[in-house]
Amino acid sequence: MNLKKEVLLEGARDALGTPAAVLFAGMLGFGAMGKANGLDMWLTAATSSFMFALPGQVVLLEMVILGASGVATALAVTLTATRFFTMCLTLFPQFPQKHRSRFYYVLVHFMAMSSWAVAMKDFPKMNPEKRLSYYTGFALVCWGVSTPATVLGYLIAGEVPTYLNLGLVFINPLFFLLTFTEVKPRGNRIAIVVGAISGPLVYLWQPNYALLICGLVGGSVAYSIDKYLRGKQLA
Amino acid sequence: MPETTQLSNLFNDAGVWGALILACVGTYFWRGLGVYFSGKISQDGEVFKWLSAVTYAMVAALTLRIILLPVGLLGTVPLAVRLVVTGLALAVMLSSPKRRMVPALLTGTISLVLYGLLVH
Repeated sequence: MNLKKEVLLEGARDALGTPAAVLFAGMLGFGAMGKANGLDMWLTAATSSFMFALPGQVVLLEMVILGASGVATALAVTLTATRFFTMCLTLFPQFPQKHRSRFYYVLVHFMAMSSWAVAMKDFPKMNPEKRLSYYTGFALVCWGVSTPATVLGYLIAGEVPTYLNLGLVFINPLFFLLTFTEVKPRGNRIAIVVGAISGPLVYLWQPNYALLICGLVGGSVAYSIDKYLRGKQLA
Repeated sequence: MPETTQLSNLFNDAGVWGALILACVGTYFWRGLGVYFSGKISQDGEVFKWLSAVTYAMVAALTLRIILLPVGLLGTVPLAVRLVVTGLALAVMLSSPKRRMVPALLTGTISLVLYGLLVH
């Protein structure tokens, strides 16, 4: 592991703009949700530190409120986290092979959809030597703001009117939707359209396995269409 | 009997913490597995292209599910309102080829807050 301090700080600085603000708002909203549903403050904060996956945290909170069993809850959360597997498979190969070390197993905990999305967008324009340091700074800031934001959201839950809370819980999904418009490769664009259409529909039919189904089937369809179009261009 | 209530609360709390620990392990499982297999994949290959498509399909499915079929507070907002607000934000984002992320985010969030202010 040879992280360059200046590049790491550059990543941290870039994260401190919109990405950290969006995560901060989302976690603030989640903290308030935890308080409103009578969850323990430490438990609410612990999900942000140790799970650090907002959709999974929301699923956990809902199932705890519904009184679901611990195993059923953990299974449902684990299924929403499947995306991390392919997120890793598409992020880590973009770092130079010589940078690979056990440090990746620590770094991967700090991965969020926002840091992944930014890396996928900016890495092609970035010197490969700089990527690991930049990403480390970026991801650590995203993780770093999340737990304090959750605790703050929990503490001020009573003081925040519902209409402001609405904005806090909406800003995260909206941010991801907007980042999709910045995705360049054609195969990934098709995948976004297919996933966006199939996601809600499949969820109505198979709520637990919807993401897995949409990802594997929808992604493969999108990849095949792109491959077909690439073949046509060459011909 | 207050003691029984306290005791069952304690068991409930233990159950919730147990669920949390299992859920954290389950979440990290996918992260760790991803790191393990990522060493075998080249960023220029076809497998990488396919996996990228699979990931984007998955996160797009998740995002649209949260917006269209939300649970909790967002679910109290009618679908039509959510669609209009999302459409407004997307329109601002796409209004410039350089993409207006911050104005688009503010448009969507502020218009939803204004809706909430009118209703509540």
